[in-house]
Amino acid sequence: MPERVKTDMGGATAALDYDAELMLRVKEGDGASFGLLLEKHRSPVVHFLYRMVQNHAVAEELAQEVFLRVYRSRSSYEPTAKFTTWLFRIATHLALNSLRDGKNERSQERLDKDSSDMPARQVSDGRPSVEQKMVYQVRLEEVRQAVAALPEKQRAAVLMHKYEEMEYSQIARVLRCSESAVKSLLFRAYETLRARLAHMA
Amino acid sequence: MKCPIETRENAELLLAYCTRKLDAESNAVLERHMEVCPACREFSSGQRAVWEALDAWEAAPVTLDFDRRLYRRIDREVSWWQLLVRPFRPTLVRQGLPIAAAACLVVMAGVLLERPASGPPAAQPQSAQVEVLQPDQVEPALDAMHMLGEFSYRVRGDAADSKM
Repeated sequence: MPERVKTDMGGATAALDYDAELMLRVKEGDGASFGLLLEKHRSPVVHFLYRMVQNHAVAEELAQEVFLRVYRSRSSYEPTAKFTTWLFRIATHLALNSLRDGKNERSQERLDKDSSDMPARQVSDGRPSVEQKMVYQVRLEEVRQAVAALPEKQRAAVLMHKYEEMEYSQIARVLRCSESAVKSLLFRAYETLRARLAHMA
Repeated sequence: MKCPIETRENAELLLAYCTRKLDAESNAVLERHMEVCPACREFSSGQRAVWEALDAWEAAPVTLDFDRRLYRRIDREVSWWQLLVRPFRPTLVRQGLPIAAAACLVVMAGVLLERPASGPPAAQPQSAQVEVLQPDQVEPALDAMHMLGEFSYRVRGDAADSKM
């Protein structure tokens, strides 16, 4: 059973976000609302988990578990926080456990295999040249290694800040720490990333 | 203004500036400061480079059968649950009862699995051995009591003789 979210949202007086309303409908037995939530959050959750564990198969497996836990806990769901806070708390919890259990040991050998996540870069003639592809791959690998080298909590904080555009307060609720702790995590993480990636400018 | 880079608390100003989340007024103040502060300029260009590098890292699309696999797992779970709960359904009036019933079943299964297999009887505990030996110990104890009684009778007799 996923952990329950207790936050300072103000309980009943807090306006429900649309996702929380959908989740309440799921609680009442509306399967279509679960489909809407899945449609909306599937990619962000999978992408977040992928960047955390850096293995696409493991990321999808973890994302399945995230949504399964959401579905399982529908009967006890209470909208005490933003739905995404709860969702990413489950996702982060699973990702950190997976990293600690070493379930994704293959993640270090994934870089050469995951060429599928290279987006089609458009250049003037419409197709990327071989040289551009190689440069892109080298840069991408540098980015991945720099992110993978971050401590787990710093990594989670950076990914939520950069890709999910979460506020410090929301990241703090996901990671169950103070806002100042999040700022400190982000500052240290970006400091490390600047040292490793600034030459890309 | 005080250089934001000198205090970690204020460094979020620079982070916000680099991610274009700063309001126009603060933006202008910070830009004026950066004209005369090489450290902040360096921080800003480094942070922008990081931001662009991270932008380039696009995750692969989710596989097409993600939803199908998820719904199959949900269906399997629901079917299992319905099978388990069906016999008790008429009596279930409270929401917590299904969980309690499932927990009881799990505990019972655990107890049954943990029971030792039938084999030679285990050695009796020490307290049981004492009970088995007790009848044998009674006779020597009675003999001892008899001897003690006789001894005290003789001692009392000797004492009475000496008073006379």
